[in-house]
Amino acid sequence: MRDVPDGTLLAITGAMPSVETKYFGALPYTDESLFDFPQGLPAFEDQKGFVLIESPEKAPLVFLQSVDRASLCFVALPVQMVDQKHQLAIAPEDLEDLALDTRRQPVVGADVMVLALVSLHGEFLATANLMAPIVLNVKTRRGLQAIRRDTRYSHEHPLSGQAAHQSSGVDIC
Amino acid sequence: MLVLRRRAGESVLIGDEIEIELLAITQQGAKIGIRAPRETVVLRKELKITQEQNTRAASGPSVEALEQALHKLRP
Repeated sequence: MRDVPDGTLLAITGAMPSVETKYFGALPYTDESLFDFPQGLPAFEDQKGFVLIESPEKAPLVFLQSVDRASLCFVALPVQMVDQKHQLAIAPEDLEDLALDTRRQPVVGADVMVLALVSLHGEFLATANLMAPIVLNVKTRRGLQAIRRDTRYSHEHPLSGQAAHQSSGVDIC
Repeated sequence: MLVLRRRAGESVLIGDEIEIELLAITQQGAKIGIRAPRETVVLRKELKITQEQNTRAASGPSVEALEQALHKLRP
């Protein structure tokens, strides 16, 4: 078992469950950071449990670590970090699956956390998937990947270089 | 891209074995039915894109490489 790196997440109190992680060795976690994904994620349908890892020294990056598979960890950014003007459009069926009010979009921070998964293309270009953000109901700790029905945002929204400063919400394919 | 105009109840054939029928048109969108051999994979395109993106995102860029690429994004 590796040591927990300094500055990495959570106060450690009492006996806590721990998860074997891809980037941080074995890491204790609290119930508040464990999310249930009843449907898994597309291409990873069998992975139903993820721990949200927030580390001050890695901020604004956050990590979604699979509970069952140490080698599976997504790197993500809160969507508002990617695009300040980002607007949610979660489909009613997805809101229902998350046990959220289907008549309105949830409030980021109060109801949900919304994360864009980050990919690296070659050495320098990082992109975020704004087309299919991860939505976490912070009260029920249930999550899913909410694929947008519209074409407002790209699945490969560029993050690095000049393009990162053109966060207008315009689709860049 | 081939563009065809179809009314509800009308079909399009692709090859000998695939039929796409426009079942209904509502304000929410068009409802289509697809008849295809069992081995033909039928997928919403955005789901396929999401699968590919997730596979790429999970393919393990080092955090250091990501941080470098994201350097300009950090406060």
